[in-house]
Amino acid sequence: MAEREKEIERSAEEIVESFVESAKELPELRETYYSQEAYNIVRPDGKPTPAAERAKFRKRFISNMPTSDDQGNLKVEVARWAEER
Amino acid sequence: MGRGTLEKLDAIHRGELSAVENVQRALEQIEKLDKQIKAFIELNPNARAEAEAVDRRIKRGERAGKLAGLAIGAKSNINVGDLRTTCASKTLGNYVATYDAEVVKRVRAAGGIIIGMNNMDEFACGSSGETSAFGPTDNPAAPGRIPGGSSSGSAAAIAAGMCDLCLASDTGGSIRNPASHCGVVGIRPTQGLVPSHGLIELSVSFDQIGPLAPDVYGTALMLETIAGRNPDECTTLDLSSVNYLDKLDVKIESIRVGTSPKFSELTDPAVMKVIDGAVEKLHDLGAEVVEVELPHLEKGLSAYYVIMSAEFFSATRKFDGRKYGRRIEEVCGDEVLRRIKCGDYISRKEQRGKYYQRALQVRTLLRREFKEALDRVDVIVGPTVPKLPHELGTKLSPAEMRAYDYLTSPISLAGTCAGVIKAGEVNGIPVGLQVQGRVLGEGTVLRVMHALEAVK
Amino acid sequence: MKMKIGFEVHEQLATKRKLCCDCPTNYRDAPPNTNVCPICTAMPGAKPMPPNERAVDAVIEIALMLGCDVVIDQPIYIQRKHYDYPDLPAGYQHSSTPIGVNGELVGVKIREVHLEEDPGAYDPVAGTVDFNRSGIPLVEIVTEPDMHSPEEARRFMRQLMLVLDYSGKVRPEAGTLRADTNISIEGGTRVEIKNINSTKGAYHAIKFEVMRQKGLIDRGEVILYETRAYLESQMITIPMRMKVVDFHVIPDPDIFPFIIDRAHVEAIRKRMVETPHLRERRLVKQYQISQAAAGVIVSERELADLFEAVAKQIDPKLTATWFRTRLKKVLNYMKLRAADIKFTPKQFAGLLQMVKLKRVTPEQGELVLRELVKKPAEPEKLLRKLGLAPLKRAELEAAVVKAIKENPKAVKDYLKGRKEALNFLAGKVMKLTRGRADPRRITKLLRAKLRSSKRRKKKRA
Repeated sequence: MAEREKEIERSAEEIVESFVESAKELPELRETYYSQEAYNIVRPDGKPTPAAERAKFRKRFISNMPTSDDQGNLKVEVARWAEER
Repeated sequence: MGRGTLEKLDAIHRGELSAVENVQRALEQIEKLDKQIKAFIELNPNARAEAEAVDRRIKRGERAGKLAGLAIGAKSNINVGDLRTTCASKTLGNYVATYDAEVVKRVRAAGGIIIGMNNMDEFACGSSGETSAFGPTDNPAAPGRIPGGSSSGSAAAIAAGMCDLCLASDTGGSIRNPASHCGVVGIRPTQGLVPSHGLIELSVSFDQIGPLAPDVYGTALMLETIAGRNPDECTTLDLSSVNYLDKLDVKIESIRVGTSPKFSELTDPAVMKVIDGAVEKLHDLGAEVVEVELPHLEKGLSAYYVIMSAEFFSATRKFDGRKYGRRIEEVCGDEVLRRIKCGDYISRKEQRGKYYQRALQVRTLLRREFKEALDRVDVIVGPTVPKLPHELGTKLSPAEMRAYDYLTSPISLAGTCAGVIKAGEVNGIPVGLQVQGRVLGEGTVLRVMHALEAVK
Repeated sequence: MKMKIGFEVHEQLATKRKLCCDCPTNYRDAPPNTNVCPICTAMPGAKPMPPNERAVDAVIEIALMLGCDVVIDQPIYIQRKHYDYPDLPAGYQHSSTPIGVNGELVGVKIREVHLEEDPGAYDPVAGTVDFNRSGIPLVEIVTEPDMHSPEEARRFMRQLMLVLDYSGKVRPEAGTLRADTNISIEGGTRVEIKNINSTKGAYHAIKFEVMRQKGLIDRGEVILYETRAYLESQMITIPMRMKVVDFHVIPDPDIFPFIIDRAHVEAIRKRMVETPHLRERRLVKQYQISQAAAGVIVSERELADLFEAVAKQIDPKLTATWFRTRLKKVLNYMKLRAADIKFTPKQFAGLLQMVKLKRVTPEQGELVLRELVKKPAEPEKLLRKLGLAPLKRAELEAAVVKAIKENPKAVKDYLKGRKEALNFLAGKVMKLTRGRADPRRITKLLRAKLRSSKRRKKKRA
């Protein structure tokens, strides 16, 4: 596993460095973060979704959880710092 | 599945073929062939019941929708509620979709029946279909060879007649590449044309859902069904509806087609010969063929890889194994891990400028160059993939594997659209022509492909 | 000992929907994981909705109230800040680039104001997560390390809470505060403390941390750069042992940036609420009241609003005195906030008018005020209800005579020169008149009567 990971890490770095090499001569331009240039796409505040709509999702959500408690909380690890107390 | 999409729709409308029969035939075909081909990971147990509902609507004379009765495959990175949507990864091996993707809602509303989830490269990280945790997909058009990827199962399912149309996705070529290798039709729409809510991310700013189909009509039909603004998403374009079918038959005499000498520099001569033949046909159909400049085309791939990795790293942080599935780093394949490592490395604070931001500058450059070229012509045509698909099981280096995306990833950077249609064959292996259009130039791209399809 | 203290303060914004989905934000009484959807639980493939406009505007307004320059005419990005923690469903938190910069509050510089998203609620001991809270918009306020003692830090926090409360843009329920603080003392290293949930908590956490760090320095030990958690139950901090991570910050490719223009900022400035410290200054000047009274009055926005409404109708100085003393006392006694007051300014002004005209004593007025707070009505009506209708002189005299007659020992004591006996007798008269009489009148009358009885006694003798 460690061997494999190292190998993969090396190939990842290779890719990155080869990019730097290939981009060497290219002009410095403004970065394009998005495929379109659009601003101020917002939505108004308003009425929340009805509870019935969320109830269906909740069932599916909980059934996907590796572990949950009987109230519907997701069960995860206890925090290490809390554990030490 | 034997006949064209339009004829099949007509048969369903006239009552000669029921939705149930159609779905049944698709399932039979899957039953017969899929052990070998592995185009599907999961089938929809409700497909028959859904088809019955469509038939009832047709019988009552109600509007059953544009896709009424058609059997649709969904790539395994598109959420279909209550079906396992795994991205062909052990990470999501037991994730049962908690909701319908926006495109799935639209397909269902149009009477399409999702029959199952297609195989794919794990998390869409691959160009061959071989990285799936469920095993590689075979190429029905060239048995024993890769079908291309990452929408491997989708293209193979179409090529093998296992379903009528497919919902697939394209990030750096994932629709176009397998369309080329499998000899089917597909299109990567302009970024933002099709809503992506429900598409499991490879790289958000490049990911686009699009169709794979046996013919141009089917491609246009599916695109019409799923395109258009979703007000609940930030990045969909402000288009209420689109219409491609009406103009599909308009002649292409007035169209200017661009080619670039760059293409032949990067492409296997045997492949290029087929492409040149297709360009010749377009010329014969009355299109004006001119040469355009794409000075830094070959710089696109590595810049694409850098940006995609940064976004993929970000998108995979949710796969921590707590809420669903398993922690990604613990169970994923090599290529997925490579991209995560790559993204981790380049989006660190001290590296950002050198890698991530630099790649975003190259993106600006490619956008500019494609825009300039496409200001002069209506479409640019060329090869989709620089080489023929390798035989399944051949060991390729990561660099060789990446090279499959050489000609498709620049379009992703440019944010424009591109369709693929079979141009011919090399030793019986399909070769697809990539028709690259302007931003929202899907109508023109489809028209050009349709004209070419007609002369075959 | 020199020290530097800075804060990162987070408060939930008062919106109906979450920042990037339509789930409700009133999670208080909701069973675990009910106010959730694919977006705020980071289901695979779920895309954020466009950001809630009200949340963006709320942050602009708060930034203005904190004296910040709002970042205008350039893109503000919603960024992804990555870290691995059970409460963070996507593995990254949405956090905007600065919306406000270079502010100031009670001498503390505000470095930046951001829009952020709340993570879910993680119980670190039980190991459970409830995502009802996940995705609620937050304002994040980052200060410079400008505070130099736990007391200064507390003063700043109190004032900040007051400003946020005034803005009306944060959720009114108590306990939505989440603060991180960083502390370094001279010769040491910066230490961050998380998990602070109140002003009091901040004070205790800092006090503990200063002592701890000082102890280390005194013993010649090294202070590590680390993140610690504040344990409220024990008022101590403990190391969280978090891996030092890079946040891999990138603009969220799912959310377009926004650009704020000057006109929008000015529109918000126009409708913006006056900050408490500016209001205090204005009240002193405009109504000619004391600094101390103004300070009390602005301690709650609703209290100040009520004050101004009343002061427009009647003597502002009298109003201020009553607000500072009797009203505050009654509210404290009943454990109410000014926001809970139901009576109208006119009713309160009516009460003060009666006091001013000496129709009731201040003490009686306070009794009326209590009723007014309990169950608002016209003060006249309450007066009658309490049986506090003005006392006739004859009634008072009769009561005084009765008290003298029934308490000969007290009378004797008083005549012997024990002054406190007079208070005793006055109390008796109060009782007999059921509090309707002015204490000053009672004593005056008592003295007169006692004096004359003394004279009579002397005569007889």
